[in-house]
Amino acid sequence: MRLALKALGEKTILVIPACCWSIIAGAFPYSSVKVPLMHTAFETGGSAAAGIKAALEVQGDTETTVLTWAGDGGTFDIGLQALSGAVERNEDFIYACYDNEAYMNTGIQRSSATPWGAWTTTTPVQHPKETPKKDIVAIMAAHRIPYTATATVAYPEDLVRKFQKAKGIRGAKFIHILSPCPPGWKMEPAYSIRISRLAVESKVFPLYEVENGEKWTITVWPKREVPVREYVKLQGRFSHLTEEDIEFIQENVDREWERLVARAVQ
Amino acid sequence: MTEEIVFKTEADMPYLPMSLGTTLVNKTGSWRYIRPLYVDKTPPCNHDCPAGEDIVGYLALIEEGKYKEGWELIMQENPFPGVCGRVCPHPCESECNRRELGGAIAIHTLERFLADHTASQRPSVQASKRYDAKIAIIGSGPAGLACAYHLALRGYPVTVFEALPVVGGMMRVGIPEYRLPREVLEREIADIEALGVEIETNMRLGDNFKLSDLEDYQAIFIAVGLQKSRKLNVPGEDAEGVIPGLELLKRVNLGEEVQVGPSVAVIGGGNTAVDAARSALRLGSDVREPRSNEVTILYRRSREEMPAIAGEIEEALAEGVKIRYLSAPIELLTENGWVMGLKCVKMELGEPDESGRRRPMPIAGSEYALKADTVIPAIGQEADTSFLETGEQRLIEVRRGHIFIDAAGATTRPGIFAGGDVATPFGTVAHAVGSGKRAALAIDKYLRGEELSGFPPIDEAVHAVPKDMDPAIVRFDDLNPAYFEEIERTEQPQRPIEERVSGFEYFGWAQYGEVNLGFNEEEAQAEAERCFNCGTCNLCDTCLIFCPDVAIARLVAPPYPVPLARLNGAGYEVNYDYCKGCGVCAEECPRYAISIEKEIKWKK
Repeated sequence: MRLALKALGEKTILVIPACCWSIIAGAFPYSSVKVPLMHTAFETGGSAAAGIKAALEVQGDTETTVLTWAGDGGTFDIGLQALSGAVERNEDFIYACYDNEAYMNTGIQRSSATPWGAWTTTTPVQHPKETPKKDIVAIMAAHRIPYTATATVAYPEDLVRKFQKAKGIRGAKFIHILSPCPPGWKMEPAYSIRISRLAVESKVFPLYEVENGEKWTITVWPKREVPVREYVKLQGRFSHLTEEDIEFIQENVDREWERLVARAVQ
Repeated sequence: MTEEIVFKTEADMPYLPMSLGTTLVNKTGSWRYIRPLYVDKTPPCNHDCPAGEDIVGYLALIEEGKYKEGWELIMQENPFPGVCGRVCPHPCESECNRRELGGAIAIHTLERFLADHTASQRPSVQASKRYDAKIAIIGSGPAGLACAYHLALRGYPVTVFEALPVVGGMMRVGIPEYRLPREVLEREIADIEALGVEIETNMRLGDNFKLSDLEDYQAIFIAVGLQKSRKLNVPGEDAEGVIPGLELLKRVNLGEEVQVGPSVAVIGGGNTAVDAARSALRLGSDVREPRSNEVTILYRRSREEMPAIAGEIEEALAEGVKIRYLSAPIELLTENGWVMGLKCVKMELGEPDESGRRRPMPIAGSEYALKADTVIPAIGQEADTSFLETGEQRLIEVRRGHIFIDAAGATTRPGIFAGGDVATPFGTVAHAVGSGKRAALAIDKYLRGEELSGFPPIDEAVHAVPKDMDPAIVRFDDLNPAYFEEIERTEQPQRPIEERVSGFEYFGWAQYGEVNLGFNEEEAQAEAERCFNCGTCNLCDTCLIFCPDVAIARLVAPPYPVPLARLNGAGYEVNYDYCKGCGVCAEECPRYAISIEKEIKWKK
């Protein structure tokens, strides 16, 4: 958030549907950010931002950026229709989804962003999640919006550049940020950056961008390549996985990566 | 902005809930049970430098382009950067964490770069105090001169007695000019003399004076080195044409004319053997006919066990010196009192001996003859402690051929200290410098009536100017490899081989061109930039970028008041009101400059 706001500057209005940032932003009457921020209902991240942007335009303000900052629950599940509607209308705003792959704030319930095989309180180790993570970037790209990108805090320069690029584009922008959650992922807080970096190096979460739903570009080619095992072994939510399970994840990751590389402009 | 907002009744609350206060009132630091601290730790190079240099400190200064400051940082500990930058076997490089990613940093070449780059300048250090207690130093080798230097810096009048007509000990007469040009040594000795150190040459202890003549001196430091060449103990050793390696090097270095025959055999595997072999090659060459003689080194073990500096062996081989491994002479063949050849025996390696190297065993029936008109034994040196054999000098104890000293460098006689090769088993200039410095610090304590305690064991470095850092040594696993890429080590250029061995016409008698040519500024920069700065905060801002609580503040901005690498925690401040102790900063720090400490407030 700090990096995103650094990239966007003071002329920014934040829209935060229910997610853990509803807490981090501060309980009334306090706020932890220095820009206007509107707390809004879970499902309205897209529509609230569209409304604020329309209000700004009525006032003749074309400079201010509207940024929705929503979790994976508010994006992949509950807020999907409002988001789809807003981007289909190509509303001029940035929608950033910080994705920790479950409803962490309410007690680690699975969302449609939870990856295959992961433990949550609603997908216990006896029945870990059996379906793959929803490909939200492909959904956004399928709307043919001007800009869609992935980012992680382990690559701050890439993240800042993507926010700056999004700010300079008119129309709907979507940025998907992988965001480790120490209690929900059962990991050491100190490893947050390392795990984010491993997600990229293991190709579980490649860093790329899609322009107009057509031009796919990989923005960070991993400096070194590591097996998925390195990424999952640091997280307790995957500790029940067998070697075959990890191999299955590896196959899926490899296939997705090949698909991405084939699609990307070199 | 940070004060708490209190609503006493519901009526105080606004109609539209709008947060105007800041969450700074919520001091989340109270959630923390571990805290990060900026603590510089010891880089392996610093730890392994026998002279106690702050290597990471001066590599950082090179990166900043502050060459004079870098040189003076070395001079705090070692008055011979130009010498050590050339002849030191650089143990610092063997543990360098950069080995894992492109090869160890070329530390010795960078040390030399600093000395060469500042050759026209003089150090700005001066003694601040003046004491009356006089100190005598016996031997002007690296140990004696380092001791003199550190004592002079502390304000003591020092007199150095040297047996030879020239100053510098083995640096002057034991190391060939192609490794250490004379002007480099002379420049560094001149800097020591500039501090008021007096050096009296042609004063040999035992011959020209006795220890008892030195009653005017309140402390004595004995650093006479190893002067006796070990004997081969084979028949024919006293024939003409046999010249010990050290003797050969000494005579060449003193400018005497030395003749070697067309086939030269050098016996031994240490640096003296290699130096003698390469010198013999040059002595037998002239510009019309380079390498007109054949020089062979005989070594009784294999290449692996050879104690000489690996690079020097490579260079000798490249120049045309031949090495016969697993060979030892059993007799020198003579004719009319002149050596004509060697009878040798082949060896095989048995069980490891007390030195940890495998013991060579002769193979029965493997004898062979080798032609040689000059034989150069170079199988080691011994201390000549005959000057200790009379009168009260006997009170100084000698053990296993070395003067016995404690961790402070003190002998068994109060007020008399010893160091360098005569008292320690290491045999390098850097160790001798460390040994002389140790004695200087001890003599300073002794003269001020303090306890001679607190010195590290004799095989660890002492520091004249200790740097404030955690003694924990940073290893590769402590670093964060995500921030470092593999970059190849920069090697210094070398003089072409034909030019090196072209003999005296090219460079003048005994003036062989230096083999290694050092770095230019660009190469030095590239090499210094490869340094990981292990354990040393260099303001890279990684902690600042990743702190999720925005609890880290940067305290300094360029231009920096002190060398960047020695801010030691003063570069950033953690705001413990808000640091929740997640540990991300310490985990991500590329160079292990942040430590984690448990909060103790819950302890009962």
